[in-house]
Amino acid sequence: MMAAAKPASAAGPGAAADLSVTIRGMTMPNPVGVASGTFGYGEEYAPLVDLDALGAIYTKAVTPEPRPGNPAPRLADTPAGMLNSIGLANPGLDAFVADKLPLLRGRRCAIIVNVAGKTEDDYLRVVERLDGEAGIDGYEINVSCPNVAHGGLAFGTDPAQVERLTRRLADARKAAPGRPIIVKLSPNVTDLTAIAKAAEAGGADALSCINTLVGMVIDVKARRPTLAMGTGGLSGPAVRPVGVACVYRVSRAVSIPVIGLGGIARADDALQYLLAGASAVQVGTALFSRPETPLEVLSGIRAFMEREGVERVGDIRAMLR
Amino acid sequence: MRRFDTIVTGNRPVADGYRELRFAWPHDDGRRADDPVPGRFFTLRAGGRYDPALRRPFAFSDWRPAGDAACVFQLRGRGTEYLAALRPGDGLDVLGPLGRGFGRPPRGSRPMLVAGGIGVGPMLYLAATLAADAAAGLCEAPILVVGARTASLVPVAMLPAGTAVCTDDGSAGFSGTVTDWLASFDPGLPPAFYACGPTPMMAAVAAVAASRRAPYEASVEQWMACGVGACAGCAVRLRSGEYAKACSDGPVLDGSTVDWEAMA
Repeated sequence: MMAAAKPASAAGPGAAADLSVTIRGMTMPNPVGVASGTFGYGEEYAPLVDLDALGAIYTKAVTPEPRPGNPAPRLADTPAGMLNSIGLANPGLDAFVADKLPLLRGRRCAIIVNVAGKTEDDYLRVVERLDGEAGIDGYEINVSCPNVAHGGLAFGTDPAQVERLTRRLADARKAAPGRPIIVKLSPNVTDLTAIAKAAEAGGADALSCINTLVGMVIDVKARRPTLAMGTGGLSGPAVRPVGVACVYRVSRAVSIPVIGLGGIARADDALQYLLAGASAVQVGTALFSRPETPLEVLSGIRAFMEREGVERVGDIRAMLR
Repeated sequence: MRRFDTIVTGNRPVADGYRELRFAWPHDDGRRADDPVPGRFFTLRAGGRYDPALRRPFAFSDWRPAGDAACVFQLRGRGTEYLAALRPGDGLDVLGPLGRGFGRPPRGSRPMLVAGGIGVGPMLYLAATLAADAAAGLCEAPILVVGARTASLVPVAMLPAGTAVCTDDGSAGFSGTVTDWLASFDPGLPPAFYACGPTPMMAAVAAVAASRRAPYEASVEQWMACGVGACAGCAVRLRSGEYAKACSDGPVLDGSTVDWEAMA
């Protein structure tokens, strides 16, 4: 715990705030995590960031088989943001367990494995295999992947599919039933609340909101898209208002916790998400610009709580006027 | 590696659209294994907290422990326009040193340093380092060849004595490409190639190195996000079909393993 919970009588301005966040059997010491895909498997950033001071590490996606990723270029610079088309490059489930997971075990922060696949069975394989592995606190389900069995349409665009996939993954937890299933929602849908409700109906313990927005940059001189894949996912400060609006709507449509992300670069950005209804937040793209961002965001949230006399971080969302 | 705030010590034009940026390198932590050897790089924040979201990577063109460091950059867009406007005393946000640099040339080989365009930065640092090593008897004297489209793009005042200059339009030095020049040059010893420059040049040097059965250390360029090997954004396709990360596997890669056609 970053700060011990205090009895109510000791609360008020100047009292130490309770920053912990509990979702199912998982307790994050504080609400600030690092977003999947931006922080590798932790070790890469260890020289720059005190991993134990984070609330959670959401790992780079893990798929059953190794994936080399998409052709290059995979990145483009955009106004107050970036496009990426990495293609879920990852060493695969076996290498994750053998090489990456041991370095994450024993951390004070929560370890949440981001799970991805091309078929429902791919997702299931990852969760079933990790169920017996120690050192994991939860799963974040990336439903933005193209579903090869459904013509490449993303899993997260069909409520029935999201509900079924979520239920299968929730039921796959045997040895470690306390680990939350967190469904990471794609904003690239007509009605995000329908997908959110479907995930809740399927037994999701929380939702992450939002994944990247589909975008394209064209190199005018070359007259072709900058990214080799044509389109990519937009992230960074440019998407923050979209993310805040999504969290605001989704958190009012479901009764499970919502974890907000999208363009958080400062404490005030995170506080917008918490006021909009988020229970926790993730910092992603801002890590690239400033690796200290998550810890600066955390100290800013703590300062806000102490200044405003907020006892628990979960109380912030009731403060929106 | 570390991220630190420092100050600009110099910022001057060195060729048409090229500038040299110098800044204080305030620390020497004594960890020699992490020193910014030639070929390694750093990233700079080129704006405010929100924009641009991506730092800009630059190879070291010079470095003195507990002294200052430098890069040569080309004005290409809003990031480099921001950097071009910095003046001595201005703050600078640095992350580095990053990546894997150049290795030492094999004993008895002639280091052939090939620079194209803005690739001149890291080759200047490598040339100075190998020249000092050669003076100490650690390797043979390097030969630096610099190619550019035209004379105004050659940072003449920065080049060490004896540098071969090639221009596509013949406005300075040898008329033709660096590979044309290499074809007619006898290094006297088995060559060891080092290069940084545009992809067609890098590919051409790969062919020259292969034909001479010579080692080839190639410094690649790619857009980067994290710079530390976490995001896999800066992928460079290898002939094996796998991808290397320019930031952490490179930027210096074995040039014989890179799929140069995929880079084009």
